[in-house]
Amino acid sequence: MAKPPLSGIRVCDFTWVWAGPYCTLQLAHLGAEVIRIETKTRPCVTRMLPPWPDAVFDSIDKSGYFNQYNQGKKSLSLNFKHPEAKEAAWRLIKQSDVVINNFAAGVLDNMGFGYEAVKKVNPNVVMITLSGYGDTGPESHYVSYGPAQVPLSGLSALTGYKGFPPMHAGFSYADPNAGVHGAFAIISALFHRAKTGEGQYIDMSQWECAIDLLAEGILEYTMNGREPERVGNRDPQMAPHGNFKCLDLPEKILDQTVDQWVSIICADDAEWARLARAIGKPELANDSRFATLAARKRNEDALEAIVSEWTAKRKLADVVTAIQAAGVAAGACADAKYLSEDPQLNQRGYFVYREHPKVGVRQHCGIPWRMSGTPCEVKTAAPVLGQHTNEVMTGLLGYSAAEVEAMRAKGALD
Amino acid sequence: MAGALSSLKIVEVGEMVSAPYCSKMLADMGAEVVKIERPGAGDRARTRGPFPGDVPNPEKSGLFLYLNTNKRGVTLDITQPDGFEILEKLAADADILVHNVTPPEMDRVGLTYERMRRTNPKLIMTSILPFGLTGPYRNYRAEDLTIWCAGGVCVLNGAPQFPALPPLKTAGQQAGYQGGAHAATATVAAAFAQLRDGAGQHVEISIQESIASILEMTFEYWPYMKMLSTRWGQKPLAPVAAMQCKDGYIFLCCIEEHQWRNFVEIMGNPEWAEEEIFKDRLVRAVNWDALKVLLEPWVSQQTVQDLYRKAQAKRVPFAPVSTMGDLLNSEHLKARGFFVEIAQPVAGTHKYPGAPLKYARTPWAIRRPAPTLGQHNAEVFGKQLGLSQARLDELKRKGVI
Repeated sequence: MAKPPLSGIRVCDFTWVWAGPYCTLQLAHLGAEVIRIETKTRPCVTRMLPPWPDAVFDSIDKSGYFNQYNQGKKSLSLNFKHPEAKEAAWRLIKQSDVVINNFAAGVLDNMGFGYEAVKKVNPNVVMITLSGYGDTGPESHYVSYGPAQVPLSGLSALTGYKGFPPMHAGFSYADPNAGVHGAFAIISALFHRAKTGEGQYIDMSQWECAIDLLAEGILEYTMNGREPERVGNRDPQMAPHGNFKCLDLPEKILDQTVDQWVSIICADDAEWARLARAIGKPELANDSRFATLAARKRNEDALEAIVSEWTAKRKLADVVTAIQAAGVAAGACADAKYLSEDPQLNQRGYFVYREHPKVGVRQHCGIPWRMSGTPCEVKTAAPVLGQHTNEVMTGLLGYSAAEVEAMRAKGALD
Repeated sequence: MAGALSSLKIVEVGEMVSAPYCSKMLADMGAEVVKIERPGAGDRARTRGPFPGDVPNPEKSGLFLYLNTNKRGVTLDITQPDGFEILEKLAADADILVHNVTPPEMDRVGLTYERMRRTNPKLIMTSILPFGLTGPYRNYRAEDLTIWCAGGVCVLNGAPQFPALPPLKTAGQQAGYQGGAHAATATVAAAFAQLRDGAGQHVEISIQESIASILEMTFEYWPYMKMLSTRWGQKPLAPVAAMQCKDGYIFLCCIEEHQWRNFVEIMGNPEWAEEEIFKDRLVRAVNWDALKVLLEPWVSQQTVQDLYRKAQAKRVPFAPVSTMGDLLNSEHLKARGFFVEIAQPVAGTHKYPGAPLKYARTPWAIRRPAPTLGQHNAEVFGKQLGLSQARLDELKRKGVI
């Protein structure tokens, strides 16, 4: 069996929070050696965010958030207040194929690690900045946080219940979107380098990357000069098309009732006829209020009420099974518990269980692809801060054990 | 200068978003893509719009035109043996076959990697599937919303104050885009390995798994704390919310304490801001209902752009809730040349979203607009594969092309 696709590729990783780490997670999944440069004086934001085991924050090494998006990476702890630490970073940059950061425009230049400087010591490096606004343009120096990128991108204006104000996506969607596009860009540049020997710099804007997911909204405006309406979960060409309430979860979680929802969609009239049969109302297939898409769209409130009445008395998993058996699209609105137990994800071996020194074995999300020739695997849990400092310093970077100890004593390796 | 992937030849059998977006990402980087569509109707995205003047026309669908830039297009019915044979010929000469043919349909037409690699052992076949090629949901029917929900993201969105309203989908075909982007990443990595090893392989992407991979910290609340993440809006910090201004909405975002203090200063240091119940970001979230009614009157008197600029000048990460018009008119996006004008012979000239990233050496570029249905049949089947006119006529009669 061949090695993973990016085996032998080394990544000097200056990223933090989510967009950048999601990008380098893809590279780690594909077999690259990703070395994260961290510092205790300013640890990655996600090291200080929940979830924590037993809901107790007593260590920057226990966050489930950090541990999810840094699997398979190494952590090198350097405090750049000390020039020796910068020298160590330079040694790493010289031996890296990829240098990556997600700071705002100019920040890495101010630290002394801008592309012009990096290129001097490593002319064929592939370097990328995944910033909120991109490297150029009048707003390039603006501050960008994940939650604000969703409304900035235009997604919020398009998302919402009919007649309600704009809504969010529910998570900082622009971050992983930028991360995965960034990984694609880096590997494309590595492909070009393998062919020609040329490295290059890539300027990536999270904002632009998110607008690339909104073509329907943008084109409504550029073709027809109109802002699209918010229509909740409905679809102009399919009805029903929405999420319907099932029976609550039988048990309470933290004393709270947990509601359960199912998505059900009929793409055409034949599917509607099959759904009508499955919910015990075959006569509705030919009912003039519902027989055609146009009729169902006209009577969509009534249609949704009929479907809801049926789902409301049933368990989520039973509804999915019954509706799918009728050949109609249905799926759980899976919450974390449902996902965790999902037979599909579990049978496919999607989840990752690796021993972590501080949190033990936890269930983590894994790799969304399978490669037959160059299999990919999450080899290790996320690192505790500085876990690989000694290994990287004395191995790759060529320091002696005594030099490492002296640097540590000074605080250069915090 | 040619794109980074200009040496790659790709065949796409794609419908709607996932596979077309995957091969668009490759094509916009220079790869040559031949897109195969069903004779007659073509890709379902051709029916989706938006359409100029709201008049449906398969050659004028905004979604289709966007997703299929830089591709040549042919029609081919791969469910007929003659059609499948032509697909095999095209794949024999390609580096990559990208498809989102569903598993039951793959079984029906006999599309397997084993079969495709027989004529081309270097072929990479990328299969983008709702739930994957194995497992109990393998054959499940799925639309975009089905997988967005099944991947665990939809429950995170909705109005917490209206629990009877359903979990809310994010606008557009987002499961398709994420499936496509993750597939493009794995595919280009396989192409990189192909260069090294000289061998092809099967790359299988589960869109459900792609969605489960982007759940921020929300999934881990369960294995770490046995807690379930609820709808956004019940954030642990405040203010992090959209609010109405005079002329639109702004997104207030004070994650760090200094950002809140700077916002208070922008508001002219109102007395209420000193109250104990607003003293830190956690307490402000607990007392969000009280805070909200104090902020609203002030925010409603501001204009979006003015408050955005004032906040950013003090390093407070507010952002406008951009409308489509705001995006098209943004001076920043204009300065970066983000939107691109594309002329297509039938649909006319329109502005489209452009490059997701800027390469210093190998530029992202639109070299040709999306194809009309079967536009390149003669060029691909005739010139490239060398089928005779008589054979082409026969295939046309049989409805294969």
